[in-house]
Amino acid sequence: MTLLLGASTVGLILALLALGVYLSFRIFNFPDITADGSITLGAAVTASLLILNWPPALATLAGFFAGVLAGTVTGLLNAKFRINGLLSGILVMTALYSINLHVMGKSNLPLLEETTLVTQSESFLGMLFGPGDVGVFGWEVNQRDAAALCLAGAMVAGVGMILYLFFRTEFGTAMRAAGDNPQMIRALGGSVDFILIFGLAVSNGLIALSGSLLAQYQGFADVQMGIGMVVWGLASVIIGEALVGSKSTGIVITGAIMGSLLFRLIVAIALRWGLDPNDLKLITAVFVFLALVVPGALAALRSRAGRAR
Amino acid sequence: MLEVSGIGKTFHAGTPNEVFALRDVSFNLLEGSFLIIIGTNGSGKSTLLNAVAGTFPLDRGTVSLSGHDMTKWPEHRRAKLIGRVFQNPYSGTAPNMTIAENLAMAARRGLPRGLAWAIPRTLRSELRDRVRTLNMGLEDRLDNDIGTLSGGQRQALTLLMASWLKPDLLLLDEHTAALDPKSADQVIRLTHEIIKRDKLTTLMVTHSMQQAVRLGDRLIMMHRGSILHDIQGAEKARARPEDLLQRFEDVRRREQLDAPVAEMLGKTYV
Repeated sequence: MTLLLGASTVGLILALLALGVYLSFRIFNFPDITADGSITLGAAVTASLLILNWPPALATLAGFFAGVLAGTVTGLLNAKFRINGLLSGILVMTALYSINLHVMGKSNLPLLEETTLVTQSESFLGMLFGPGDVGVFGWEVNQRDAAALCLAGAMVAGVGMILYLFFRTEFGTAMRAAGDNPQMIRALGGSVDFILIFGLAVSNGLIALSGSLLAQYQGFADVQMGIGMVVWGLASVIIGEALVGSKSTGIVITGAIMGSLLFRLIVAIALRWGLDPNDLKLITAVFVFLALVVPGALAALRSRAGRAR
Repeated sequence: MLEVSGIGKTFHAGTPNEVFALRDVSFNLLEGSFLIIIGTNGSGKSTLLNAVAGTFPLDRGTVSLSGHDMTKWPEHRRAKLIGRVFQNPYSGTAPNMTIAENLAMAARRGLPRGLAWAIPRTLRSELRDRVRTLNMGLEDRLDNDIGTLSGGQRQALTLLMASWLKPDLLLLDEHTAALDPKSADQVIRLTHEIIKRDKLTTLMVTHSMQQAVRLGDRLIMMHRGSILHDIQGAEKARARPEDLLQRFEDVRRREQLDAPVAEMLGKTYV
């Protein structure tokens, strides 16, 4: 049970990453590799501030805005300096590696004694139910695990809701249109450059928020923690799309959250069955490759079969 | 109203692919007039339209509309004054968004976009009413994605979107060229209605001699990046497709003559 609970919590935390990746990859069709750096940036900024005894909520918010800044830089490189989108992301990601080391001062920052959002929600839960384990559907659950799960769930639900509502505003529809048909929104007076920069800022803000929560949950920030994260996020989005089978924004947002959750659970179970953790990133990459190629190949096969008949 | 003076544009300047797309083009357009632009392939007619729309920076000259010098304005800023319909029916609408969402964005052309609902309830009934004027039955499909519509339906919607807020200038870039004859007819009829009803100042590029003589009150014929003929008033009203074709034929014959003559002169003197 602890295993599933932990996996679900990480899944929900990384759902924020998936939402950020959805924004850049799916809305703008922009392969934003900045994610690998900004998730660590969020973790690094929040961890450093927590050690300076900042209130956890403020430290988390600062992590979010650090990501916003990183995304803005990527957007500017692409929109203003006309640097290829992939390269813009790689440049910022590479720069962030050094910046993250500077922010943390060393390559790993433990948060053992600090007050974090997780310890705060734990004491909040303690106030509600009294000390000791919490009973969930008959299982006795460690209070800290339960608190972390609730915190992550509330955070993701809130962000998902805000994102859904945002996409129905004037600016939000313009953002979707900018990804769908930039020429059209330009002809209707929308600055595609500005919209893209704003979108990447929000995307990386969410990804940094994910990193910030992850650091607080696992109790440390590490300069290596971001490696391959963009592929994680993409895998979640793809699983989500397969789960819900719809392109409508609200449903896809829910799908990305479900995808992240499901992906983490599958990984946790596979690791339990003896999967070598070192193979995890390879398997993730192969999975994303298959998810990208198989639907197209199936369609081609089907149309060929149709013609043969 | 629209003042285009001395504009020039060279693509790939200084390379073997150098193209003089526009050479010193000037004209003024009065408010409410409807100018047709025709020309051979590569004559610069679409380039002229794009120069007014601001798709690329000009090498020389100025473009001003309604008293604003727009020469330095980026495309999206000019959109405040200009409505556009493109040649490609896929260009004017966002295919993965609904008809209602597309129209709602057109209802904010050139206006600031904030965090208000994109489709407030008050707009919804207006959307329905104005889509009904297209007579395509689309008013009951407002929540369908535009990508599910035909090219003709999309162009009709794009036209509606371009004229939703009355533009100071309407740009039509061969907007029926990619449609089947029946849809093209329908879109042209709609174009005519909207322009007449709203008294829109219009620039229309076309490849169809029929459209060129039937529509508009002024006609410009382009060739090699310059204005060759400017036909207005009674002369435009009298013009027939054969007259225009004759003028194209004249151009062609002159060029056929030119090339061998140039070659001969070259051989003799170089």
